[in-house]
Amino acid sequence: MSNFTNHHPDESMLLEFSAGTLETAISICVSAHLHYCSHCRAQLLRLDQVGSQIMTQSDPMTLADDSFERVMEKIDSADEPAVDNNTNGSDLPFSVNKLINTSLVSKNWKRLSSSVDIARFSTGQDNFEVALHKIRAGGKTPKHDHEGLEYTVVLKGSFSDENAVYREGDFLLRQPGDVHQPMGAQNGECICLSALSAPIKPTSPLGFLIKPWLRINPM
Amino acid sequence: MLTSKISTASNNQPTDNRVAILNSSEKRSDQWSQLLISVGENRDRKAFAQLFKHFGPLLKGFAHASRNEGWFPGLGDDLVQEVMIKVWNKAAGYNAEKASATTWIYTVARNCRIDMLRRKSNTQHLPLENEDFWHEPDEVTPISLLQQKRSEDKIQASLAQLPKEQNQILRKVYLEGKSHAEASAELNLPLGTVKSRVRLALQKMQIIVSKEAQE
Ligand SMILES: [Zn+2]
Repeated sequence: MSNFTNHHPDESMLLEFSAGTLETAISICVSAHLHYCSHCRAQLLRLDQVGSQIMTQSDPMTLADDSFERVMEKIDSADEPAVDNNTNGSDLPFSVNKLINTSLVSKNWKRLSSSVDIARFSTGQDNFEVALHKIRAGGKTPKHDHEGLEYTVVLKGSFSDENAVYREGDFLLRQPGDVHQPMGAQNGECICLSALSAPIKPTSPLGFLIKPWLRINPM
Repeated sequence: MLTSKISTASNNQPTDNRVAILNSSEKRSDQWSQLLISVGENRDRKAFAQLFKHFGPLLKGFAHASRNEGWFPGLGDDLVQEVMIKVWNKAAGYNAEKASATTWIYTVARNCRIDMLRRKSNTQHLPLENEDFWHEPDEVTPISLLQQKRSEDKIQASLAQLPKEQNQILRKVYLEGKSHAEASAELNLPLGTVKSRVRLALQKMQIIVSKEAQE
């Protein structure tokens, strides 16, 4: 688990995650980042503590007289539960691992351009397209602008753009007007999780290369 | 990597550290966490009954505070049942070094509330439940119950001192389950104002340190 993460979700995103009001697609990205970032996990714990204090200060409501007995009946009639397992035995985040195991649109990578492959997830919501991107070592992607929001979490390897190098666990948010040209690291392929809210628009003459990115088909 | 499997091996055996914490004088620092540990380790029904008595009415109140789509009158009793059964079932995996019982039960309740409301209001197949977002690895540095209790007491005290408009937004988000955008529409405030009130509240409560508070 690397702790070199330099790029984090902002505190209002973490707070919405803690309160459970963050969109599903963005929650997937935040939960993926948390897998790598002990800093944000510590922050999240404090936010959960806020939630728990607000809950315990809310008005308690009287329960039906038999509510405890009813719960015990259910517990006694069910099998003894297996010990809850909190880790997933993979170095990928739990939520991403589950999506890979249950919700890939296609089992194979699809080629987006000469340097980028994509594997889309069907996540039961249609506000964002959630997918894995694989950038080949040293692969250049076409320069592009964003019409919507693009959340990215680096899962393996690294890539860079004009501004910085992004490593395992880094969380990025691109907004409309941000133009960038990501490039895979020379020393190995890079796999990213991304949630994309609207088509990306190409800005370079080579932009046609990313045509498939224009087709947003969340399922 | 597309085929990586979810392992079923358990990594939640009590560590020496945990035992040390249990045996230390911190034992009395947080009665709810001690009760929950006892439910997990000994299937202690008396301890569970005490937790039920304390948290049951709070959980029902938490369910009724929801203003989300999918809300229904029976949500309160259903949530109490579902959360408390989960508490019983998951208690063996409870790790007091990660969160106090109060915080842990809050996260179970929040996940349950979201998932129950989604099941009511959504006909689409959702491959992920909210619970799936909450599987963080154990920390290298455990946080003792005493430390957690202190930080919770501090949060409780500072919540009470927040200006009304900041408190109101936190309650909207955490209790009513409103996003910042929904809160902004309901309170007739620009989204930026909602976010800055939240940020001010978190700074005042020292939830975020000033270094990260910058844009
Ligand atoms: Zn972080």
